[in-house]
Amino acid sequence: MKDFVDAPHSPHVFSHIEMFATALRDLRSSLAAWRLWCLLGWLEIRQRYARSTLGPFWLTISMGVIVGSIGVVYGALFNQNIADYLPMMGIGLVFWGLLTSIINESCMAYINSAGYIRQTATPKLLFMLQAGWRNFLIFLHNFLIVILLLAVFGSKDWSTVSLFFPGLVLFILNALWIGQVAGIISARFRDLPQIISAMLQMAFYVTPILFQPGMLKDHRWIIDYNPFAHLLELVRGPLVGAAPDTLTWTVGIVMAVAGWLLALALTERYLKRIPYWV
Amino acid sequence: MSVIRLHNVCVDLPVFELSGRSLKMHLARLGRRGRIGKDNDGVVIVRALDDLTLTLQEGDRVGLIGRNGAGKSTLLRVLAGIYAPTAGQIYSRGRIVPLLDIALGMDELSTGRQNLRLRGLLLGMSNAEIRRKIEEIAAFTELGDHLDLPLRTYSSGMRLRLAFAVSTAVDADILLLDEVIGVGDASFMKKAEGRMLDLQSRAKIVVLASHSDTVIHQMCNKALWMDRGRIREFGPMDEVAARYAAAQSAG
Repeated sequence: MKDFVDAPHSPHVFSHIEMFATALRDLRSSLAAWRLWCLLGWLEIRQRYARSTLGPFWLTISMGVIVGSIGVVYGALFNQNIADYLPMMGIGLVFWGLLTSIINESCMAYINSAGYIRQTATPKLLFMLQAGWRNFLIFLHNFLIVILLLAVFGSKDWSTVSLFFPGLVLFILNALWIGQVAGIISARFRDLPQIISAMLQMAFYVTPILFQPGMLKDHRWIIDYNPFAHLLELVRGPLVGAAPDTLTWTVGIVMAVAGWLLALALTERYLKRIPYWV
Repeated sequence: MSVIRLHNVCVDLPVFELSGRSLKMHLARLGRRGRIGKDNDGVVIVRALDDLTLTLQEGDRVGLIGRNGAGKSTLLRVLAGIYAPTAGQIYSRGRIVPLLDIALGMDELSTGRQNLRLRGLLLGMSNAEIRRKIEEIAAFTELGDHLDLPLRTYSSGMRLRLAFAVSTAVDADILLLDEVIGVGDASFMKKAEGRMLDLQSRAKIVVLASHSDTVIHQMCNKALWMDRGRIREFGPMDEVAARYAAAQSAG
């Protein structure tokens, strides 16, 4: 199934040209095994919601209830116009849920797949893709809330909606590299998942989800320097009719590129250690 | 042309104690690295394979023998490409199929048929290959209509039938076995044995770890005697097995 190249004959030049040879080969074969990670991701969802009639829609319902109650309470607290506040907050929560669930569950991607990893020589990145795919499917269920909010309250400018798709791609690419980095380190250091989930909890409060960026007044730097705020704006802005500005696009693209380089470098270095760690 | 070559292969298995898993402890130690020795960071290293040099060629039916903890299973994992050697090189050509754990990759809520597919994908079969073989696999299990029921309704014998049928349906150039023989009731056992023989005759290289003399004598033409992570002897099965047996009885 796997071919290893004899080291003595391969000149050192190759190691410079193909800097991430091992990592990229693993990524290629992981992508090629899409049937496997789609199936595994789907099975896991089904396992979680076994024999409940509504299945993952329970998440949609609970998310809907949260959006509704926060909308009423915080809308009143902050003296907000509900037609502005509710879509902004609700859409923000749905996408924040996607981001954090991909990152949090990627931490466990390799640890929980130890049974597979230690019995066959499967590509490794597919377990991270599985975590991403599973949470994307759950997100699609939650997306109903977004559609509902937009249907009721409308968008300020529908012409920006097409920007949502490149925004979403960038958003997910960023979630995936963070997940891959977290997943590899978590396989070795088992308290990282807890650290990460605590940090994401903190990030939630400094990211404009419950509050609007404008409310910060003099303290706008909190969101200007917050990468999560930019990531969120990439997907939320286009939906509510505010095209993300150049800075936000730049942050999203630079983060995705630099992040994936970091993830690939880490993968290249530690991929072969994963079976020893899990 | 299937072949596996090992060149000075070593495998060091890290055994993590609780504190070795902790990032906090790791960071806290960084400050006082100098005073406390490196080997004191909660990770115990066990050398499981020590400087193995070995070539397996087409036609080899190798029986792995040796006491518990001699490194037989670790060697199978290295041959399968699961563990990358921590030192040395491995070169292999041909499709390797490891049958190390027969119970791998089963989903309780899926039907037997869905599980056949899942396991096939895990073992590296293509979608077309699975579709081509699924009827033959299903027939071999003799589970009939039960195949359309979820796996959680299966008895352990039925699970084994299912797992065995799909694992042995993969076409392998190099087959790695870890004491998997011994499945189901007597009638299935006989059928399973026949299938194992057939599988082994199709594979170009077979490596089999077993404590059973009968199995080794039946299936192998070479024997590899492992002792504490090293190769004690590698050669024709009769000679090596005889000397191993003598050493065993001598204690």
